[in-house]
Amino acid sequence: MELLSNLALGIATAGAPENIFYCFLGVLLGTLVGVLPGLGPTATTAMLLPITFVLPPTPALIMLSGIYYGAQYGGSTTAILINLPGESSSAVTSIDGYQMARQGRAGQALAAAAIGSFFAGTFATFVIALAAPPLTEIALQFGPPEYFSLVVLGLVCSVALAHGSVMKALAMIVLGLMLGLVGTDIYTGAPRFTLDRLELADGINFVAVAAGVFGIAEIFRNMENENTRDAVIAKVTSLWPSREDWRRMVAPILRGTFLGSALGILPGGGAILASFAAYTVEKKVSKYPEEFGKGAIEGVAGPESANNAGAQTSFIPMLTLGIPSNPVMALMIGAMIIQGIVPGPNVARDQPELFWGIIASMWLGNLMLVILNLPLIGIWVRLLQVPYHTLFPAIIAFASIGVYSVNSNAFDLYAVALFGVVGWLLLKLDCEPAPLLLGFVLGPLLEEHLRRAMIISRGDPMIFINFSERPISAVLLTLAAIALVIVLLPSVAKKREEVFVEED
Amino acid sequence: MSFFSLARLGFAGLLAMAPALAHAESVEQFPSGPLTIVVPFAPGGSNDTLARLVGRDLEKKWRQPVVIDNRTGAGGNLGGLAVARSEPDGYNLVMASIGTHAVNPFLYKNMPYDAVKDFEPVTLVAKVDLVVVVHPSLPIKSVQELIDYSKKNPGKLNYASGGNGSSQHLATELFKHLTGADMTHVPYKGSGNAIADLLGGQVPVMIADMPIVAPHIKEGKLRALAVGSAQRSAAIDVPTLQEAGVKGYEAYAWYGLFARGGTPRPIVDKLQTEIAAILHDPRNQTFLRDLGAVPSGNTPDEFAAFQKSEIDKWGEIVKPLGMTLD
Repeated sequence: MELLSNLALGIATAGAPENIFYCFLGVLLGTLVGVLPGLGPTATTAMLLPITFVLPPTPALIMLSGIYYGAQYGGSTTAILINLPGESSSAVTSIDGYQMARQGRAGQALAAAAIGSFFAGTFATFVIALAAPPLTEIALQFGPPEYFSLVVLGLVCSVALAHGSVMKALAMIVLGLMLGLVGTDIYTGAPRFTLDRLELADGINFVAVAAGVFGIAEIFRNMENENTRDAVIAKVTSLWPSREDWRRMVAPILRGTFLGSALGILPGGGAILASFAAYTVEKKVSKYPEEFGKGAIEGVAGPESANNAGAQTSFIPMLTLGIPSNPVMALMIGAMIIQGIVPGPNVARDQPELFWGIIASMWLGNLMLVILNLPLIGIWVRLLQVPYHTLFPAIIAFASIGVYSVNSNAFDLYAVALFGVVGWLLLKLDCEPAPLLLGFVLGPLLEEHLRRAMIISRGDPMIFINFSERPISAVLLTLAAIALVIVLLPSVAKKREEVFVEED
Repeated sequence: MSFFSLARLGFAGLLAMAPALAHAESVEQFPSGPLTIVVPFAPGGSNDTLARLVGRDLEKKWRQPVVIDNRTGAGGNLGGLAVARSEPDGYNLVMASIGTHAVNPFLYKNMPYDAVKDFEPVTLVAKVDLVVVVHPSLPIKSVQELIDYSKKNPGKLNYASGGNGSSQHLATELFKHLTGADMTHVPYKGSGNAIADLLGGQVPVMIADMPIVAPHIKEGKLRALAVGSAQRSAAIDVPTLQEAGVKGYEAYAWYGLFARGGTPRPIVDKLQTEIAAILHDPRNQTFLRDLGAVPSGNTPDEFAAFQKSEIDKWGEIVKPLGMTLD
C-alpha cells in the first residue's frame, strides 16, 4: 500500500495551512492575470514566476502549479466572453463558448468550463498518482514517426468531418498550414517567408493570429452597422446550467477527460491536440451536430475537460523525466533548479514530500479554481453589459498589452492588426477561422516530425507503416485511412455538413 | 487584475527614463531603478536559469527589481539585438551564449549586430559541461567504441541536438571533425525535446548539457562516455574527451553577461563586482557545480579575452565546415 502512504504524505503536505494558502494565492493570481485577453498560461506563469522565489521549494511549486491552472482557466474565460483565446487550446473553446455568450448563455458556458475542468483535473490527478512511471515508459515509445501519424490522424479527422463548404474548410486548413511554415526551418536553418524581418524568424506569434482572427475580427464585424452592435450585450437569463445542460454535459466531460489525459502524457506536445480532438469527437457523436458552432454546450464542456486533463497529465513527463512538454513545464523545471532541486527520475524518490505534495495540491488547486470561479461568473458576465464604445477599446488595449507581453515585441502588435483585417475578410467570405488555427498549430508539428522521421529512416517512408517495428505509427495511420474511407460513405457525408460551420 | 502586467509596463516606463537618470547619477547611486536581463532563449533552459539565479540575488542585494525578459528568435540574435539597441547605461544586460556572442556571426550572413563592438563584456557567469551520452541499448561503452561503431556502420548512427548552431550541435560537429566519426545530425527545437527521443532510444547519441542529463545518467537510463571540457566534471565522473584520446578537443557551453557597448566602465565594474560576489557565494558554488556548471565571475577584461578566444576557436571550426544558417 505504498500508494496510499504516498498519497497520505501528499495530502498531509498539500493540506498544511501554509501550502493551502499558497495554492489559493497561485490560483487567484493566475486567474486574475490570465483573464487579461491574449495572456495565455506561458506569459502569465513567466510573469509571476519571480514571486515564488522567496518561498521554500514545496510551497513555491505548489503556488506555481496553482498559477498555471488559474491562468489556463482565465484564458478560457476571455475565449468565451470576448472571443479572445490566449492559447491554442482555448481557441476551440471560443468557437461555441462565444456563441453561447452572444445568446446570453455566458454563465452556462463558464460553468461548463469550470465543472468540466474540475472533473478532468480530479481524474488526471489520480492518473498521475497511480500510474505516472509506467505511463512515462509508454510515452517514450512515441518517436518522430508516431507523432507524425498522430498529427495526420488529427488532421484527417477534422478534414473528414468538414462539410458542405468542404472546399472552404480545406482552404482554411491549408492556409493555416502555410502560415505555419513562416519562420526558420529547424533542419537547415533557412529563413522561410520572413520578408527579411528578424521578428518573423521564429514564425508568426500564435497569440497574435488568434487574437486577430477571432477577437479583433469580431470587433470589426460588430462595428459594421448598428443592428449587429448589440451582439455583445446579450440578455443574460440564468447563470447556472439547466437540467438539460447538465444532461448534455456529462458524456462530453467524460470523453474529453479521457482523451486529454491520454494525449497530455506525450512529451512531444500531445496536449495541443487534446481540445481539437475532443471538439471533433463531440461533434461527431453528438445528437445535435447542427448546433455546433452555434453555441452547443458540448463544444465547450468536451474541449475544456480535455484541455485541463491534458494540462494536468503533461506534468507526468516533467515530474518523472524532467522533460518539459510545453513552455510552462520548462518554466517549472527552471523554478525547480533555482530551488535547488534537479528535476528528473530522482525527484519522486529523493523528495517524496515535494513530489506527492505537488500531486495532491493539483486536486486542491482544481477545487479552489471551482470555488473561486463559480461566484466570479456573475461578475464576468456583467462585464459583457459594458457598452460597446467602452468595451471595444478596452478589449483592444488589453489584448495589445497581452500580446506584447508574450515576446516584448512590437511587431506582434502589427500582426494582430493585420490578422484582425484578415479575419474580418474571412468572415465576409464565410470562411471560419477555427480550421485555419488548426492548420497553423498542427502544420509545424506535422512537418517537424515528418522530416525528423525521414532523417532517421534515411528517406525510407516505410518507417511510418512498418507494423513489426513501428506498430503505434502503423495503427494510427490505419485509423487515419479508415477515417478517410468513412467520409466517403453517404451516411457520414451528411454529418460532415456541420463540423466547421460556426457562422450563423 | 492587471496589476502585474501594469507593474511590468511600469518597469518598462522606468527603463525608458533610465538613461536620463544614468547621466545624472553617479556610480554610487547605480542602480537607481529596475534592471533588465534579456535572455535570448525560451524560459527553462540553462541560460534562463542562470539569469534568474543572478537576478534573484541581485534583487536582494540592490533592492531594485530585476526583470528577466525572454526574447527568443533567430538563434538568440533577437535578444542580442534588444540590448545592442538599448541605452549604454548598465540597466540592460543580455545573458549571452556561445551562439549569440561567438558563433552566430559565422553562421548568419545577416547578423543584426556586432557581437564585439556593440557590447561591453561584464562577466562570464558559468561554463556548463557537455557530456557525450548514448542510449544503453547501444553496445558502446567508450569513446573509442563509439567512433569504431559509427565507422563500422556508416550512415546508421544519428545524434540529437537542441537545434542548428546550438552548442550541442557544434560540439558534435567538432567531435566528428577530429575523429572522423560518422553520425547524422537530427536537430530538435531545444534540448528538452531532444532528451525525450534520446531516452526513448529514437536517436541514440547526443553531446548534451550536463545539468539536463545528469539525473538520467545516475538512473542508468543513459550511458555517459566522456565530457567535452578539459577538466572532469563534478557532476558525473567520466574521462574528458582528451583523456579518451580525442586530441585537442575542448567544448563546453557558456553563458555570460554583456551590457550595451559604451556603458561607462565604473558601472560595468560595479555590476561585475556584485555578480562575481553572487557567483562566489559558497551556496551558489556548490549548487552550480553539482549541476555540472562551473561558475566564473571573471573580470570584464578576462571575459573580453575569453570571448575573443571563443570567436577565434569556433571560427576555425565552423568556417571549414561551410555551415551557414541563412
